[in-house]
Amino acid sequence: MINNVKAWLEDGKIDIFLGYKETDHHPLPHCFTKERIEEVDDLVLSPARYSLEKIATHMAAVEPDIKIGMLTRDCNDRALNVLYLWNQLNPDNVSTLPVNCCPSKLKEHGDCSYLEPERMGAFKKQVGLDNNMGLEDLDSYGQKERLERWMYEFQKCIKCYGCRNICPVCFCKECSLEHDELVKTGPLLPEVPIFHMVRAVHMAGRCIDCGLCEAACPMDIPLRLLYGRVNQIVMDLFGYETGSSTANNPFSILGDTVTLEPKPIEPAQTVNP
Amino acid sequence: MTVKRITFLQELLSILGLEGRLGLSWISSAEAQKFVQVVTDFTEKIRSLGPNPLSTFSDTRKAAAAELMRMDFKGDGYDQQRQSMA
Repeated sequence: MINNVKAWLEDGKIDIFLGYKETDHHPLPHCFTKERIEEVDDLVLSPARYSLEKIATHMAAVEPDIKIGMLTRDCNDRALNVLYLWNQLNPDNVSTLPVNCCPSKLKEHGDCSYLEPERMGAFKKQVGLDNNMGLEDLDSYGQKERLERWMYEFQKCIKCYGCRNICPVCFCKECSLEHDELVKTGPLLPEVPIFHMVRAVHMAGRCIDCGLCEAACPMDIPLRLLYGRVNQIVMDLFGYETGSSTANNPFSILGDTVTLEPKPIEPAQTVNP
Repeated sequence: MTVKRITFLQELLSILGLEGRLGLSWISSAEAQKFVQVVTDFTEKIRSLGPNPLSTFSDTRKAAAAELMRMDFKGDGYDQQRQSMA
């Protein structure tokens, strides 16, 4: 792998390579260049991960023609597909070096910091949501209980913007979560559930289920569960699997004729207690 | 596009447990009768669903936010910053 990266840099196939370098025994994201090619010897693989494609997007925004190489896990790969689709990166300028990642039928062994999720405490399970619960279990709660449980989780939010900042597929220059007339920065407590719903809407057809938002969240809000459920809606309604290809997104303005019909306004029903 | 977004939003609201509080209908300016029908139906529906359950949460949060503003943080080094944000 190291020889591969060195060869790429020397050939000029890539200008920079994004990977992890061990610094004081911590694998940290690092940008390797031809000028300091000896650093490539310190390139490491580890279960730790970071949204390297986000760094690539920032670089491409400044220097559109830069040729970028990067280590890609399965989640990085899906994120790249989304970024190609939304014209944030040019696939011709990106070279990937796939590494072993999520376990699958073909390979049982996986290398990822997410394989052993944190266990949730009893109180959180009782009044909130278990971050590791399945999407089906989520639907088993009644309407009212669901609202209460989600609101318990959302009310913990301290508006640190960690989920947005780490998100590999968040790339807007102007963010509606920092807009004076939408969600202001500064004042606490944050407006819930608006803050999380804005993110949920933006993650529809975009979230690639890497789980970095949830790992970054200091308040243990089950964000991966929320966006996973949101993407399930996109799958059910439009049959679109996010990140698997660069096929057109259902929420892109350009595209096919819509065959969906608006839902009829059903007569009032008795609400579950 | 609208129908895609609204259908999606209806589903999103039902995840959170706010089902049935959003409707979409196309009504031309020549269809007064239809307009009246849709609005009446929807009003009835919303009334039967009861008040927005989110308001109970926002009341307690407003009280908490007011409490936060009352608290004395003077001399913690962030005074200026907070004032400029307020």
